[in-house]
Amino acid sequence: MVAEAADAPAITRPRLRVKGAVKSFSGRIVVDVDDLVLGDRPIEGLIGPNGAGKTTLMRMIMHSTSLDRGTISLLPSDGGEVVLSTLPAYRLARLGVVKSNQVIMDFPKLTIWDSLLLAVAGSRYEQPHRIFSERAVFEQHESEIRQYLDYFGFRDPTLYAMSAGEKKLLDIVRCLLLKPRFLLLDEPTAGLPADLTDKVMAVVRDLAAAGTSVVVVEHDLNVIWNLCDEVLFMAEGSVILRGDPKTIRENRTVVEKYLGEGHV
Amino acid sequence: MEFITQSLVIGLTEHAPLVLAAIGFALLYRLTGLINVAYSETITLGAYFGMWANTTFELNFYTVLLPAGLLAGLVSVASYLLVFRPAKQRGVGVLELIIISFGLSIFLRHGLQFIFGYPVRFYDVPPPDTIPVLGVGVSSFRLLALVSVAVLALLLYLFIQRSSLGLKIRALASDEGLAQVSGIRPLVVTVLIWFIAGVAGGLAGAFYGVGSNVAPLLGWRQFLMILMVALVGGTWGLGGVILVGVGTSVALAAMALQFDQVLYAQLVLIVAFVVVLKIRGRRVAETAKV
Amino acid sequence: MNLDWLDAFLITGLFQVVMVIGLGLLLHLQLGLARIANFGVVGFWGLGMYAFGVLYVRVDWPFGEPWQFLVCAAAATLIAGLAGLLVGWLIADLDTDGVLVGTLGFATAVQLLATTEDDLTGGARGMGGLGFPYDIGRVKEDELLWLVITAVVVVAIFLYAWRVHRSPYGRLLIAVGGNEPLTRSLGKSTFRAKLWLFTVTSAAMGLLGAMNGVMVRYLDIGNVGVGVTLAAMVGLVLGGTARVWGAVVGVILTVGLFDIVVQSYLPLPQDWYTQAIPVLREAAFGLTLMVVLLFRPLGLLGDMRRDELMRKLHGR
Repeated sequence: MVAEAADAPAITRPRLRVKGAVKSFSGRIVVDVDDLVLGDRPIEGLIGPNGAGKTTLMRMIMHSTSLDRGTISLLPSDGGEVVLSTLPAYRLARLGVVKSNQVIMDFPKLTIWDSLLLAVAGSRYEQPHRIFSERAVFEQHESEIRQYLDYFGFRDPTLYAMSAGEKKLLDIVRCLLLKPRFLLLDEPTAGLPADLTDKVMAVVRDLAAAGTSVVVVEHDLNVIWNLCDEVLFMAEGSVILRGDPKTIRENRTVVEKYLGEGHV
Repeated sequence: MEFITQSLVIGLTEHAPLVLAAIGFALLYRLTGLINVAYSETITLGAYFGMWANTTFELNFYTVLLPAGLLAGLVSVASYLLVFRPAKQRGVGVLELIIISFGLSIFLRHGLQFIFGYPVRFYDVPPPDTIPVLGVGVSSFRLLALVSVAVLALLLYLFIQRSSLGLKIRALASDEGLAQVSGIRPLVVTVLIWFIAGVAGGLAGAFYGVGSNVAPLLGWRQFLMILMVALVGGTWGLGGVILVGVGTSVALAAMALQFDQVLYAQLVLIVAFVVVLKIRGRRVAETAKV
Repeated sequence: MNLDWLDAFLITGLFQVVMVIGLGLLLHLQLGLARIANFGVVGFWGLGMYAFGVLYVRVDWPFGEPWQFLVCAAAATLIAGLAGLLVGWLIADLDTDGVLVGTLGFATAVQLLATTEDDLTGGARGMGGLGFPYDIGRVKEDELLWLVITAVVVVAIFLYAWRVHRSPYGRLLIAVGGNEPLTRSLGKSTFRAKLWLFTVTSAAMGLLGAMNGVMVRYLDIGNVGVGVTLAAMVGLVLGGTARVWGAVVGVILTVGLFDIVVQSYLPLPQDWYTQAIPVLREAAFGLTLMVVLLFRPLGLLGDMRRDELMRKLHGR
């Protein structure tokens, strides 16, 4: 699973448009984005100091945090526009907009198999009268799931995810199984050992090459410089700088002001 | 016009205990986050304590309010120390806490029934004077209930908003960890909250009891209405509880005057409250953790 | 058939146990899997019972038994299911507090309506005129057969719950109960899942109510009190909310103890049975709820074991 061409111009990508989006918590404005389009390039990185509003912006896209004002819409690759901010939250994943979580999120009573089968199972199987459909779902998706299990080296999937790293990885695999068209990754490598970080990055590159738009929020700037085709620098609630990694790295004054020396 | 004044006067006086009970319940709910189903038995016990003091020591009704409130407050504190505090320390979840309080409520209710039996009991008080208010005759006990609700609500409001102990209570409610660091002793403050809530419930019970009769189901019969008032009104603080409580009381009285079946009034209010909760729930449902 | 050896109290006691197991199993799907605390079980059960009773007694049906029973029971199930749909819609996006108000409010509304609409329900006077959809001899024999039929229905409910644990639907319910926002982010309409859950389980509660109506043959508003909810809840909690067998084990230990062992086998003075025992039964149930949730919150059987289940279903 290694990318060949990171940037094939023939593919038009799904994009997200954030327009006039404002969010404040107890009077303090956390996000104030005038007009922002994400997804023009295959992999975009979102960086900035703590409290810049990166995670909040991601959560606003996913309806985990409500908007005070503004709209967020999906511009699918085949044209048109779908306003996401008025849809029910569950519809996002069905449109291919998927996010991995910064903090660990898991189902305490579900095993690894359960968690992954849940992600892939179609809603027509999840109805009160379909009590004999487990086999069908399993057979339909077994090989696909096993591929990821083997690739990431999961232990026995009939067990519960125990360690923080395992839960984090499980979260990412769930996202991948949803076949995202627009994938948001909120600190995907935090808490993962280096070899797994590389494996995750490789999969993300493959996805992007196949036409999925990816946005990564990450504190580990090495990941950003290596992975991203474009970097957006966010501070005080809005994107103040964007460009290819090289340009951003060279723009020392801004970046150093916020991130401190040695980060560039 | 007559209908309006009648509804207002009857509603405010007859259902004043509802407001008092709802304030106590909301206090617990807002400050400790607990939905305490057993609060209905705090009310019932208040009625029984009052009756006991009244019939055993031949105290008049006004004097009886003191032991009724105090003893109910103590019972409330005891239920915290014996049941809810251990439950919290064991990390019992929100849903389980409600079921525990439901179990406690059932246990107390039937314990009372076992001790006192089925027959309803009455306060031994001389028939209250009837005082005309806006052309409607009102019993003096009910007027007293209204006055004490008003006074208690004011005192509570001042206590929580103005006193230093009130400040501590609010600090504890918003962030227990932070409150602890800044030198607030959570146990003392929490016990105080439970005590105040218990006193409010006990007084409400005594008023309910003297207004009609005393029976083990007294508090449970009122519980749903109290719960709804506290939940819907509580969003806007103590003032909201009082406002919604008064509105509910007047609506109950007005509908009781209109319908030939008094129970329809309750039915209408249940539907109305659930719809309010639904509409409000819709707005917050989408925003959640993740 | 000579049934002299069989105590009449034993049949009603067994019926009570079987029926509450059924309610406990349905509550298990709501509370144990989806973590929705339904405090209004009696509302759906009572609605089914009264809908059945009113249709059975007040309507002049052009056909005889068993059709009259079947049509009325089906209608009662449908009505309870619709009520479940309505209540489910009201509470599906509320938190635990809202669910408490909605379900408790519904149960209260059913009780109020049973009281006020006395032209239909007989109100506080009660309503007679119900009977078994067959006649195989003496009352005791009829009752025994009815017990068997109800047991078959409850076994069917058990098998359904057992299958739910082994289906994608059950997995979705557990996910909703465990982390609803995360479930939503996986593209699942948790609202719809809860709605269907409530509709189906409430309909089944209504059916059990209708079957209870046949057994008691006299509907009394005293029977649609909180005691029914309590019995189902205490049984389920004692056995273990998360386990299919929880309701079975727990109800046998609670309702079975009081309605069979104490009722039929303890040599107690006669007046105890009408006065003290019913009150002590409820008090003991309340105490059990508290003690179990404080000291063994997952009940006697403990938590669900998805790891074992997955190994059985999908192990290599």
